[in-house]
Amino acid sequence: MKYQTQKVAYPYFILATLLFGLQVIFGLITGAKYAWNVDPLMHILPFNVSREIHINLLVVWLLFGFMGGTYYMIPEESDTELYSPTLAYVQFWLFAIIGVTAIVGYLLGWSWGMPFTEQPFIIKVGIVIVALMFLYNILMTVLKNKKWTTIEGVLVAGLTALAVMFLFGMFFMKNLSTQYFFWWWVIHLWVEGAWELIAAALMAFVMMKLTNVDRTVVEKWLYIEVGLVLFTGITGTGHHYYWIGTPAYWLWFGAIFSAFEPLPILFMVFDTLRMAREKHLQITNRLAMYWAVGGTIMHFFGAGVWGFAQTLPQINKWTHGTQITAAHGHFAFFGAYVMLILTLVYFMMPQIKGLKNYNQTKGFVTFYTTVFFMLMMVLALTAAGIVQVYFQRILGFDYLTAQSYMHLWYGVFFVSGLCFVSGVFLYIYDFFTLKEARSAIN
Amino acid sequence: MEKSTAKRLFIWGTLISTVIFIALTYDTLRQIPRRTDDAGLTQQVVAGKWVWQKKNCNDCHTILGIGGYYAPDLTKEGKLRPADWLKKFLKDPRAVMPEPRQMPNQHLTDKQIDDLVAFLQWVSNIHTNGWPPQPEVASANEAAASSSELSRGRLLFSSNGCTACHKINGMGGNVGPDLSHVGARRDPQWIAQQISDPASHYPINLMPSFKTLSKTQLDELVQYLSNLK
Repeated sequence: MKYQTQKVAYPYFILATLLFGLQVIFGLITGAKYAWNVDPLMHILPFNVSREIHINLLVVWLLFGFMGGTYYMIPEESDTELYSPTLAYVQFWLFAIIGVTAIVGYLLGWSWGMPFTEQPFIIKVGIVIVALMFLYNILMTVLKNKKWTTIEGVLVAGLTALAVMFLFGMFFMKNLSTQYFFWWWVIHLWVEGAWELIAAALMAFVMMKLTNVDRTVVEKWLYIEVGLVLFTGITGTGHHYYWIGTPAYWLWFGAIFSAFEPLPILFMVFDTLRMAREKHLQITNRLAMYWAVGGTIMHFFGAGVWGFAQTLPQINKWTHGTQITAAHGHFAFFGAYVMLILTLVYFMMPQIKGLKNYNQTKGFVTFYTTVFFMLMMVLALTAAGIVQVYFQRILGFDYLTAQSYMHLWYGVFFVSGLCFVSGVFLYIYDFFTLKEARSAIN
Repeated sequence: MEKSTAKRLFIWGTLISTVIFIALTYDTLRQIPRRTDDAGLTQQVVAGKWVWQKKNCNDCHTILGIGGYYAPDLTKEGKLRPADWLKKFLKDPRAVMPEPRQMPNQHLTDKQIDDLVAFLQWVSNIHTNGWPPQPEVASANEAAASSSELSRGRLLFSSNGCTACHKINGMGGNVGPDLSHVGARRDPQWIAQQISDPASHYPINLMPSFKTLSKTQLDELVQYLSNLK
């Protein structure tokens, strides 16, 4: 760690870690409702509320992770202390309070009712304020030294898009089709636009530090990757406009552009592997390297392959609105973002804590457990989805009858989820007890 | 490739995609009113949409295929089920459908229920480019038309949601009577009347009327049921 203010990242990573734990607990409860069918919690915590909390916590803890990672990175990239650590702490508490209020509100039935953006209007205003505080702090730090690196440029572009796109999900629209049209500007243009930029910038920084490969090469590839991400991703939003009351030309535009969406991810895989091979340093933090390389590969399969598998309208017509989408969602979020945040944590936390050679054993067990059981969960949901498509869409059975044929897979999904959660809990334990490896102490 | 070339690629790629996207957005917003029965978008429908959001229906049900996967998609529900069935169900879901997987009673007022049903009916008129698709088997059977009244009747039975309440050969719900041998108990005329006007047989039963079926559909369904002996 070069600058004192990089420490600001610490509380962000703590809360991200705790909320990750809470997110998977709610995931487990939500999954149990599928596996058992009869729901004893129906009147206390019905499915819609537990799902709402599960997916909101996902977004919130990932955002805390992004913010922590950014606060750690920006002083080092800008060669200066952070513009205002105080503002960063105020922002932290404000976001934490808003987050807790939203979750408690959900438990009491206070919802705005659009998936992922269920936050009532006033909470949304708070989120925008937090985003602006964050953006301001980062921008002022970068401007302090008037030194714009490509990594910073991509990061700031991503953060700006993050704040701007959220505005399109804030307002009530009378027409459901229009409402969903703009809802996708938040959902799709976040995860396949703004977030990809932030993630790519953070990833470039970590890989550069881990391997010490040449900055110009890293930044050249960063341009190519995010360029392709945005070229395919922006008009690729169209793959969500097939069936929501929007004109038929989206079947063409959505299909053609989104069919190329796996390409930049594939580049990222090659790029990361190339850097890992060309490393100019002895890599001591093998664990961070594993999360980074593993993350790009899982990102490719989760977002790229599982996404591509149903992005063409001829297929999407049958799979849209089934568990196939849920399988893709779990896989893509885990590969693209969860593993990235864990890369950041395992790269940055030892430095924040001043550990030269930390014990990586538990971290590796977490890596293998979570990756393996996430794959199992995804395969189970995919199988359930295939059964659903066959019985419900092809044979025309009614919804609940089709569900009854999916039970076996819901069972596999739940058991895999349980094992996945145990991996997450090991991570949480590891996070709080990170210490020097025995050999280093000797 | 030089870094400056990569930068140009990034700028132009983003710009081109953004311009295409904005242009199509402009045209889409122009077309949506036509494709979504804008004239029918009454105060009541808007009120119904708000009930839909406030009760967070969308985190269990998909609509236009988007949302939670725990409960049926409701895109065409307003066409699929008669309004009186929807209202009865929303008033007390458990009484109408005592399945293991249940919808919790949302304790809606009568006005909220009317609004919500108006909203669902409005949604069912959205032009969705043919989604959800007709079941493949049904289409195949229609092509093979002539002697397939039985299998078409079977598909009508399932596509109209009859299986949600009635069981045939071990498959289906428990709300209504088991119909595995209904053809042995009832004559075709009785069955036809029960489908189109259930109240004429039992004034206080839960079964909604399926008057919306065409004459041919009703015949096919009756023929299928009468053959269950």
